[in-house]
Amino acid sequence: MRDKAQTLVREMVSNIYLPRPVSIKRVKEETGDIKTFTLGFKDQDKKDRFTFRPGQFVLVSVFNCGEAPISICSSPTFSGGLQLSIKKMGLLTGEIHRCTKGDELGLRGPYGNGFPLEQLYGRDLLLVGGGIGLAPLRSLIEYVISERSEFGQVTVLYGARTAQDLVFKDDLSAWDTEKDVNVITTVYRDSATWKGNIGPLTSLWKKAAISPLNTKAIICGHPAIVSYVVFDLLKMGFGEDDIITTLERHMKCGVGKCGHCSIGSKFTCRHGPVFTYQEIKALPSVL
Amino acid sequence: MPDELILNKEHLTGFLRKIANERELIAPVKNQYGDTLFEIVSCVDDVSLDLESRPVVPPKNFFLPRTEILFNYRHEGKEYRFEEALPDISRVLFGLRSCDLWAILFFDVVFQENFKDRYYLNRRSNTILINIGCHKPMQNCFCKSAQSGPFLAYGYDLQFTDMGDRFFVEIGRPGGRELVEKWDYFFEPVTQKDRNEQYEIVLEAESGFERIVDFDTAVSRFINDEVDEALWEELGNRCQGCGGCAYVCPTCYCFDIADRPVSDSKGERVRTHDACTLAGFTRLAGGYNPRHERRRRIRRRFYHKLAFAKERYHRPSCVGCGRCVEICFGRIDMIHFIRTVCEQPGKAMKASLRLGEILLDAGLISKEELKAALEKQADTGKPIGAQLIEDGVITKEDVARALGIQLGIP
Amino acid sequence: MHRVLTTCCFCACGCNLYLEVEAGKIIGVIPSREHPVARGNLCLKGWNSFGFVHHKDRLQYPLIRRKKHLVEANWEEALDLVAKRLLEIKERHGGRSLGVFSSAKCTNEENYLLMKFARAALKTNNVDHCARLCHSPSVIGLNNAFGSGAMTNSISELANAEVILVTGSNTTEQHPQIARFIFDALAKGAKLIVVDPRRIPLSRFAHVYLQPRLGTDVIWLNGMMKIILDEGLLDETFIKMRTENFRAFTEILRKFDLKQVEAVSGISVEDLERAARMYAGVKRAAIIYSMGITQHVSGTDNVQSIANLAMLTGHVEREFTGVGPLRGQNNVQGACDMGALPGTLSGYQDIASEEIRKKFERVWKTDLPSDRGLTGIDMLHSVGDKKIQGMFIMGENPALSHPDLKATRAALEDLEFLVVSDIFLTETAEFADVVLPAASFAEKDGTVTSTERRIQRIRRAIPPVGESKPDQQIICELASRMNYSMHYESSAEVMEEIAMLTPIYGGVYYDRLDKGWGLFWPCTNPDHPGTPFLHKGSFARGKGRFEYVVYRPPAEMPDDTYPFYLTTGRIYPHWHTGSMSRRIAALSRERPEAFVEINPKDAKRLGVANNKPVRVISRRGEITVKVRLTDDVPENTIFIPFHFREAPANILTHDKCDPGADIPEFKVCAVRLERVQ
Repeated sequence: MRDKAQTLVREMVSNIYLPRPVSIKRVKEETGDIKTFTLGFKDQDKKDRFTFRPGQFVLVSVFNCGEAPISICSSPTFSGGLQLSIKKMGLLTGEIHRCTKGDELGLRGPYGNGFPLEQLYGRDLLLVGGGIGLAPLRSLIEYVISERSEFGQVTVLYGARTAQDLVFKDDLSAWDTEKDVNVITTVYRDSATWKGNIGPLTSLWKKAAISPLNTKAIICGHPAIVSYVVFDLLKMGFGEDDIITTLERHMKCGVGKCGHCSIGSKFTCRHGPVFTYQEIKALPSVL
Repeated sequence: MPDELILNKEHLTGFLRKIANERELIAPVKNQYGDTLFEIVSCVDDVSLDLESRPVVPPKNFFLPRTEILFNYRHEGKEYRFEEALPDISRVLFGLRSCDLWAILFFDVVFQENFKDRYYLNRRSNTILINIGCHKPMQNCFCKSAQSGPFLAYGYDLQFTDMGDRFFVEIGRPGGRELVEKWDYFFEPVTQKDRNEQYEIVLEAESGFERIVDFDTAVSRFINDEVDEALWEELGNRCQGCGGCAYVCPTCYCFDIADRPVSDSKGERVRTHDACTLAGFTRLAGGYNPRHERRRRIRRRFYHKLAFAKERYHRPSCVGCGRCVEICFGRIDMIHFIRTVCEQPGKAMKASLRLGEILLDAGLISKEELKAALEKQADTGKPIGAQLIEDGVITKEDVARALGIQLGIP
Repeated sequence: MHRVLTTCCFCACGCNLYLEVEAGKIIGVIPSREHPVARGNLCLKGWNSFGFVHHKDRLQYPLIRRKKHLVEANWEEALDLVAKRLLEIKERHGGRSLGVFSSAKCTNEENYLLMKFARAALKTNNVDHCARLCHSPSVIGLNNAFGSGAMTNSISELANAEVILVTGSNTTEQHPQIARFIFDALAKGAKLIVVDPRRIPLSRFAHVYLQPRLGTDVIWLNGMMKIILDEGLLDETFIKMRTENFRAFTEILRKFDLKQVEAVSGISVEDLERAARMYAGVKRAAIIYSMGITQHVSGTDNVQSIANLAMLTGHVEREFTGVGPLRGQNNVQGACDMGALPGTLSGYQDIASEEIRKKFERVWKTDLPSDRGLTGIDMLHSVGDKKIQGMFIMGENPALSHPDLKATRAALEDLEFLVVSDIFLTETAEFADVVLPAASFAEKDGTVTSTERRIQRIRRAIPPVGESKPDQQIICELASRMNYSMHYESSAEVMEEIAMLTPIYGGVYYDRLDKGWGLFWPCTNPDHPGTPFLHKGSFARGKGRFEYVVYRPPAEMPDDTYPFYLTTGRIYPHWHTGSMSRRIAALSRERPEAFVEINPKDAKRLGVANNKPVRVISRRGEITVKVRLTDDVPENTIFIPFHFREAPANILTHDKCDPGADIPEFKVCAVRLERVQ
């Protein structure tokens, strides 16, 4: 027996946990364990309604595996579909890697706060990425290039463990050709074939001619690398709210309810995953 | 229809029987083994209603089932389809106590803020809540300190007060009014004498608590970071990681979501109760766990229940039901915690974490290693991190992680 | 939605809980508050005990091996095939060539029926189960000393002990609800003595913590008794009135040189004195112990020493005292009680006794073999020379739980015919010729007996999953195909037969079990109220017997090639071979992977880092497993839990056994560690 109240709930309250099916339009192998998937929505309506900000993520459902949070790596201005770069790390991501064109995944989102664009307009941007951390940055970089006049100088510093681990190689070259965009890549370990920079990201400061003046720095990568970079940037004189990064936490619902990603009074999936260093300092680190 | 009525006790069964005929009646029942649990009562005469004991677990499983199917999914060729599962619910929850009812009101807020939880609301929207005010608090009850009882001023559909041979019935929300109007012949009007008597019962109940718990002092000490590290260490040692406190707490709602395969072509996505005191609650896929040490998880739990809830909902989310007090293996329940925090002597020193301690904390080095490195460092003068790396105890990556913690990047 | 009260399927604490059933599925559990052990809470395993029941991997159909692969079949063909092959082997080589592993997870009724089937239908006494690997020394040792091999007092009495001595038991991780009673005792001012080679979590609460070297228990126990003797702390009245052989015992004990204690075990005499005085100096002291005492080649000796200590101080036969071997599996006590053992029928009645045999033969209507059968360890050893050709393994997983897995697995492979009944396709089932899908604890009725000898009900909450059947039904259907009719309307009927033949279960009937919280055996007739604490007034054998024990070192000690001690054991979130716990999300999430605990000093020397893999090698084999640095293990010792199939600890262990109990020395062997390049 269902009464008015229950009927009202059924009609008016949407189901935030229900994914929608998306189909894989294209698969590109970036490295041995990273692939970029371009996804298309099943019906036109849903596609039109799906908008997002750079830095947001989606929860990808994989049949009989569950869900995982993945950053969107395409710009909201890109019309070719939603792009996700996924590193094979465990069961679920392994299963995604087995998928091919035409296979379907589930999608929920977009979630997260995304990069604070209002703070970036008119500024010079220093974007530092390590490994797969370039993925959410790519969303931002592509967006910035498509809205070029809104932003100042753009410097992209990117590093990976070896030359084989570099992602978005074509994009990196393309960005470098853009006006007032400077891209410097490095690998942490030498190899026979690599002719470019060798060393950690922190070895690129001089080459990149970094200045904290009117510059916002955005860093994405393994927490260890982020720590070293932030340390150096602070030493260089960057303000605490001029340094922006993403925090990684175990996530389940993606909408700030299940408790897994909570840090103090914030939920990484809602109030983050993008935070300024100042905000991070205010988060109780022992919690 | 007046807002207050009398229901003579001899009519209770009749009233409940009528309810049970039309809707699902859930009430606290003492079963043949002596346990009191909220049960679905199809035949009122067959069960032994227990309005004296606290049910073993709160009724939260009726709103947030321990395992709840969110939807079924299946593979049809390449297609991936999802189909939600929503049960039809129509029920009356009778014999709730103020603490447990207050917890449901809390859930009403939690599951509608930022977005409305369709599954919770589906169950909640068609449930009528009938409270029984506690005229005699039990040994470990502290709802008065938690401001969630023994009687409520609002939020119930009906509130009953046990007056010996009859119940004093207060009508609250429309659901209650609907029930009473439908079967008004069971009820009688209230006299001034009744009102006086009821008021006296309330006063007596409020003075009958063995446990007075100072939430305010504890919360403020917590928020001001005045709680000694040694206390957290002790709590961490005592916690046995059973998850019981989260499973029995009326206001704990953290959940996990997982796929449960049924076959190679279909499965269910389920939502299950989870406990933040468990190690796996925050462990990331790569193995890193920001709350690796148990004492951090205990701290997070109390922070969430007290300080966070106060910040967000203006009061701690603990309802003072006393369940955790009765079941905790290591006796680190809410009362014990608050009492210990309040009894701490004065302001504790804020522990400034040095790198060595951070590494120790994160389980990356042992106490002996730290000691050895400190001794060596005294001679070499090297920074502790470098010393430990040189000795092969940790890697640069570990140091970076610790650095991140030191910088406050969690 | 309704609820069904049952007993937890994991450990032998015997907590009762309600399974929440909705739409034919189990969706949750609620602990019983009135239950004297559960007391309103459960451990993490208990709270998640239902999580495996509906797992996709549940065996739903019988499987028959055709052309090397296991394929689905129907019950008719599967049971026909099993009956045919077992009969063939029996005809050709005799009943003695068949062996049966019963299950410490199955009910009393099922254990009884399986041992009945083995003896009456297969005509073999080769019946055993995993108690062999855990408390067989207790069964024998305490039987020798006291006359009964079980926990002497009830669990709840621990809360009122003044001193509790815990040795070889990681109580907070393996028997959390018993540890809870220890905490209660501590809150009341009791003192705690913990003796364990590893710094287990409970040691943090100890008033005296002793850390002996592995396998040196007899030394410190004898040392403790020597101190008690020298300082006159013994209970002379008790010794005189209730025990025997004391003089012979003390004659040797007097000569014990306390200097050995530190030399052999590493415990200082001063520390041992503190412990001795603490234990002996009060009226109510209890000892609890588990695998750390039993899983040694000197397991039975260790148990006898503990019995000696308890008798010396009069801390047994009285309330709030006693000797408590903490049984592991939810029904390992029951499996022993039901005679799933090679030398005894139900109730520990000797198969060699003609009188006992006649009693059973009358009810079972057939002759029974009289010679003692082989233990589980010996059965697998006897496959190689064809003494054992066929086996029926019910609810056990020797392919992961037995020592020296290479040899164990080779034996399973070599068997002429192997039939396995289980709920999942375990490592053992993968060797089987026929696999029979069994019903889980939530899908059948029966009784189980907890570590405190409490016999309780398990109750069916949902019908068996898929086409699985309760083992009771499987055994009966199999028997009927083998010229031995076994037919029971219900498990209650089986218990009636058990009660008829088994004095200690003589008064156990289902209607009695439904009132109150079970019955403690001995419960000899329908009016007997049960026996919470044993040996009241006198020991079961009359007088308790002292027996001096001479120290023998472990069978394999570290040497130059294999310089590390390896000790194995369990961890909190997992259960034994992990077939259930690793399929429960909340438990598996706590510890998804195998690991080895290494002391940081050793790690540094070897150049191995935390979370990185290391090779662990013994004379039997090697595994690669991730490192977990901790101070909890002493230097030169490593610890590996045996739950993980991808890094099985038992590849490394050896199968040298205690001569009396035939228990392998899981707790000590020698290994070396190598970096992974």
